[in-house]
Amino acid sequence: MNAIYEVQGLVIDLYTPTVSVRAVDGAGFHVAPGETLAIVGESGSGKTVMTLGPLGLLPEGVAVDLRGTARADGKDILAMTPADLSRLRGGFFGVIFQDPMSALNPMLKIGPQLARQAQVYAGLSAEAAKREAVSLLARSGIPDPEDRYDRYPHELSGGMLQRAMIALALAARPRVLIADEPTTALDATVQAQILALIRQIQKEDGIAVILITHDIGAVSVLADRVAVLYAGQVAEEGSAMDVLTAPVHPYTRGLLASVPDFRSETASGTKEIPGIPPNQAQLVPGCRFADRCDQVQPQCHRRRPRLQTVGTGALPHRVACPVVIAAEGIVTHD
Amino acid sequence: MQRMFMRRVGLALLLMLAATALTFWLVTAAPGNVAALIAERAAGSGADGEMIARIADDLGLNDPLPVRYARWLGDALTGDFGVSLRTGKPMAEEFAERIPMTLALLVGGGILALVISLAMGIAGAASNGGVVDRVLHGLALVGASTPNFFVAALLVIVFSVWLGVLPSFGVSGLTSWLLPWVTIALFPASVLARVVRVNLQDTMSRPFATTGFAKGLTRRAVLFREALPNIAIPYMTTFGAQFTLMIIGAIVVERVFGLNGVGAFFIEAIRFRDFIGMQATLTLFVVFFVSVNLTVDLLAMLADPRLRRPRKA
Amino acid sequence: MKNWPWAILAPATIFVLIGIFSPWLMTHNPAAQDYAALLEGPSWSHWLGTDYLGRDMFSRIIGGARTSLVAMVFVLVAALAIGVVIGSFAGYVGGKTELVLISMIDIALALPSLVIALALMGVFSGANFDWMSDYWKMIVALTLAWWANYARMSRAVVVAELQQPYIEAARVMGASHIWIFTRHILPHVLGLVVVYASADAGALVLAIATLSFLGLGVAPPTPEWGQMLVDGMSYIEENTALVIIPGLALTAVVVSFNLLGEAFALQKVPRAVRGRFLARKKAARAAEETARNEVEA
Repeated sequence: MNAIYEVQGLVIDLYTPTVSVRAVDGAGFHVAPGETLAIVGESGSGKTVMTLGPLGLLPEGVAVDLRGTARADGKDILAMTPADLSRLRGGFFGVIFQDPMSALNPMLKIGPQLARQAQVYAGLSAEAAKREAVSLLARSGIPDPEDRYDRYPHELSGGMLQRAMIALALAARPRVLIADEPTTALDATVQAQILALIRQIQKEDGIAVILITHDIGAVSVLADRVAVLYAGQVAEEGSAMDVLTAPVHPYTRGLLASVPDFRSETASGTKEIPGIPPNQAQLVPGCRFADRCDQVQPQCHRRRPRLQTVGTGALPHRVACPVVIAAEGIVTHD
Repeated sequence: MQRMFMRRVGLALLLMLAATALTFWLVTAAPGNVAALIAERAAGSGADGEMIARIADDLGLNDPLPVRYARWLGDALTGDFGVSLRTGKPMAEEFAERIPMTLALLVGGGILALVISLAMGIAGAASNGGVVDRVLHGLALVGASTPNFFVAALLVIVFSVWLGVLPSFGVSGLTSWLLPWVTIALFPASVLARVVRVNLQDTMSRPFATTGFAKGLTRRAVLFREALPNIAIPYMTTFGAQFTLMIIGAIVVERVFGLNGVGAFFIEAIRFRDFIGMQATLTLFVVFFVSVNLTVDLLAMLADPRLRRPRKA
Repeated sequence: MKNWPWAILAPATIFVLIGIFSPWLMTHNPAAQDYAALLEGPSWSHWLGTDYLGRDMFSRIIGGARTSLVAMVFVLVAALAIGVVIGSFAGYVGGKTELVLISMIDIALALPSLVIALALMGVFSGANFDWMSDYWKMIVALTLAWWANYARMSRAVVVAELQQPYIEAARVMGASHIWIFTRHILPHVLGLVVVYASADAGALVLAIATLSFLGLGVAPPTPEWGQMLVDGMSYIEENTALVIIPGLALTAVVVSFNLLGEAFALQKVPRAVRGRFLARKKAARAAEETARNEVEA
């Protein structure tokens, strides 16, 4: 496995004056060049913290305590100097944030920001950088890019802004693209376009893509691999095919069952997962999903389930639920 | 945006009109009998009822208020603000002599406040909760709580009485402006430093600041390139308000350091019941305040790209 | 109001207490002159020394606290009352009345409060106002200069609250205007206004002192810190204490009120956890983790 960005055994605690939250509780992931990894989970499951935390891209104002290992292109991220980390963030990674309206500085024009990235990280001259910026805007599907170059964020619509943000993320020619809920703030039709754009970019540039989302539809369209997160822990991960068509973990099954599928002939509405989302301010022994699980056993409250490899595909399919594995007689390969 | 512009200007003019009318009413209602005052000044105790009545007639003091105001306004617009009851000089002349002094105090103090507040606020934000941040925060708190006459007194004590380095009276050469300027600038600088610091802190936790980090900028770069432009508007607005407040600093400073500016004149006018002088000075103040507020409003409109270029479809 | 640092109230409370109990805290009569003991430094009989008339500085400072406190309370209460009434009325009634009142408020806000107060002191120097004592002229001038801000705030709160659905619900249930106003809206107005006033108190103390310093406020022999400071300026070469002591007292009081204001304002700004607070939280978390590891082992 030639992972270009990999994280293991990550434990992240967030501290505010009023609460202490364990956002990530021993989770990890990896992504290879040319591959799209989708990280799926509810709000608060730790998807964003896990992915952006090692890069130090969490909002200011919250104290962060991070443990574990994180490597980018083989180098240890956590041991880097601040200067090196800054360069990594700018040149190696490209990030698309959730709400383009608030993620772009209202006082700065769009074009020059792109040009600066190209200049600093791709080593282009000032004029070449400007041309590159315009062509990036065009490539992201923005009409009349020379005009848009000099515009401010408020002068563009949501869809256009998201495309601009994609262009900004690509301007430094990154090797990894992280898209954090890129379509949540957009209309349905625009969502599809943005996803198609990301897919196209990946095919053309061969970069690694991490898609953070709670939208299963987007996952099925884009992802090569999927990791399902619950309460800061990985419940299940594997190829998109495996996870989406043959899920094992009760949470994954519940998640997929709750998605309305109006294409299916046997569609009978949705089935929701009972219970409420976990309170991550407290550390709870055992499996975090136990309270809401229909397969729960006494051991689930005592032992933390570890990931076991099942199946025989090229991409390993791992599941953190010994109960279902045992109950359904699934063969493990650890 | 042109329309917003014109609307603000129009409102400002209306405000000036209303405020000057109000001050006119107040000041003329106060003295009881201006004619008697004038007569007294002119003829001592020899003033009699007839003389007073004649003066009242001459000055049109028995006309209805709106008429008097209109007359005064007409005079004012041609530069005639009456004659000071205290000094006997035309107000226009007093202004010509005194406005430069007060203006110099305000402008010098303003620039000093600008520089100090930006330096303090940015330094605090760069330190982000560290020692520098907390010390500067404490300094700003004290600076915003110390009465300006106490600041003036302390500076005089330290630099004039103890060290003998700077003069405590009058202005003669650049160094003698130092104590007055620092006195005037301290309070606004402290308030503005806090505005800078709080706004920077708020801005640095906004999503676009995180985007700035994602672009590979260091914290210092994010502070200067991404955050600073966003505090321009709240800063400008507060600066405008503080600048108008500096007139009080000017009044105090002119008294303490014996400078003959408009502020000192105003206080003397109050003490000596120079109602014409008061009226004229208040009008000057109103024009000053409304103009400064208007300018700040307009500059803030220009600085905001959202207003400069309204959203197109 | 949770996590409220109650310690912040301490300095301001001390000032208020000193002001209230000042007659009992004084060691001498603040107006008593003693020509045998002029401009003395601190001693056992005169804890903070004496001034240029032999008056005890300590007692004058204590007395000044009461003067400032009383004047401040008068002005704040009056300005609050006028401001809240006018502002709430404007917000509640709406229509042309509101427009007229708003214009009034805007004009009253066109000049900084202290300048208005100064101007009014000038007006009050006229013969028509000779019946007012200097002290009351100052109180009235400051009140008239201070109410407009509270009026604007009150109006804003009233307008915002009136848009809440529960107001309409109350109306439908037949509540009278007065009932709606006193029971539902007034608490919100007072909540905001009182918070602002507690921080504004510092500015008011400064204003009172500044007026006295300029000779337009409290007149001697009533002790007042601004007054004492301006008197002390003449003796600045011989004894700086006459200037420094009232100045420090003023600064201390204003700082204590500004601390209050800060505490209120900072409730809304996100602050990162640092230092010992953070260390404690981390330790707690580590303890939880050990406990959990034991269960899972």
